[in-house]
Amino acid sequence: MELFDSESKKIVSDPLNVNNPISLQVLGICSALAVTIRLDQAIIMTFAVIFVLCSSNVVISLLRDYIPNRVRIVIMLSVIASLVSFVDEVLQAYMYNMSKQLSVFVGLIVTNCIIMGRAEAFAIKHGPSKAFLDGLGNGLGYGMIIIVVSFFRELFGSGTLTLPDGGAGYVLFQMPDWLYAAGYENIGLLVLSPGAFFILGFVIWMQREMVGLEEEE
Amino acid sequence: MHSNRYTLIFVFIVTIVLGTILSFTKENLRESQENNLKADVNKTILRSLGFSEKQGSSWSNEDVEKIFSSNVVGLCVDPQGNIIDNIVLEEIDIEKNIEQLPVYLRVVDGEFQGIALPVAGKGLWSTVFGYIALEPDLNTVLGIQFYKHGETPGLGGEVEKKWFTNNFVGKKIRNDNDEIIGVEVLKGKVDNSKKDSIHQVDGISGATVTSKGVTIFLKDDLKRYEAYLNKVKDNGII
Repeated sequence: MELFDSESKKIVSDPLNVNNPISLQVLGICSALAVTIRLDQAIIMTFAVIFVLCSSNVVISLLRDYIPNRVRIVIMLSVIASLVSFVDEVLQAYMYNMSKQLSVFVGLIVTNCIIMGRAEAFAIKHGPSKAFLDGLGNGLGYGMIIIVVSFFRELFGSGTLTLPDGGAGYVLFQMPDWLYAAGYENIGLLVLSPGAFFILGFVIWMQREMVGLEEEE
Repeated sequence: MHSNRYTLIFVFIVTIVLGTILSFTKENLRESQENNLKADVNKTILRSLGFSEKQGSSWSNEDVEKIFSSNVVGLCVDPQGNIIDNIVLEEIDIEKNIEQLPVYLRVVDGEFQGIALPVAGKGLWSTVFGYIALEPDLNTVLGIQFYKHGETPGLGGEVEKKWFTNNFVGKKIRNDNDEIIGVEVLKGKVDNSKKDSIHQVDGISGATVTSKGVTIFLKDDLKRYEAYLNKVKDNGII
């Protein structure tokens, strides 16, 4: 089957490790900092980004022979912004609680450099099915990192782990009281943006170490 | 390289197509969005008045409407505490309109069980909207709920979370002289050994400005209702 030839597989799996959008390309950092305070937000954000990324890649790829080169960035931005507005409207109408929870972050998907980056670097040069796989791979690569970061931020910053349930979130884990009684304290810094930088730095370090990437001099 | 003419026409078409799709989407979804919004406000009022969903289930918009219409009476008062008739409560601008003040009474089988008042004010980035409900003694907080804000999720956005709102329950809004002083959101934790702790709740770490904002608008908004609250206290609900 065409979908699973080695090249397509590579398109999906590369962004998960050797070419991860966050830890290797260092794209999409802004939103990775913002939505990683809680695990459930990171998970919902992952789905929203995967949807927008796949659809924008497919649309751009379909239009790639017609888009005038001089205005391609503007066209990409319009397509992405329209898709994001569409997601936002649908969430407000059918998943009101979830849309309330994500609030401004849905709108902020527009400014996620990964989406623009993939449109410009990949979708505009490849066919729709490959563009779709590229979107999927990068969306998963993005999700993987922000879920790891949010796991540590929520666990050590707020002392809980929350899963999305359409409402206020399902609390999966809570630091036991005896731990607090023994003098344990949540690390408030992790809830703030600098905390995200520290954890993200560690994740990027770990992943680059695993992949064996050397910065060029 | 495409010609200028082609470029212009292409951009024009893309704009029209995307614009049409979006406005079509919006137009089709408007009704259910507005229903969601209205149900959300009513749900907030119900929750502040102590109604809660059964464990593991959540209210549909119809459930909210049903519970609301059979247990809650809405009316409008002026700052002197007189009731104003013939006003559509939903249309009152809670943040700016200080002449028309909506009030929601929890009346079950003729018995007055609580009163919910809208509160709104500036947090850090946005106006925070919510409802505070008082018990029939018009001093003890029955519940508080926030339903709309643009504060940073995880920081100021925590105002809508249970751990924060639960802390208000049972707190007193009046001091020993019966003056309304509201409930103060502290920076840090409440020291329960202090006498003032009955008027204080734990703050949100990392959200000092939002916490301060809540303290200020709770006091200001409750004071607006002072005349009406005192009337109800003396004469009961009319």
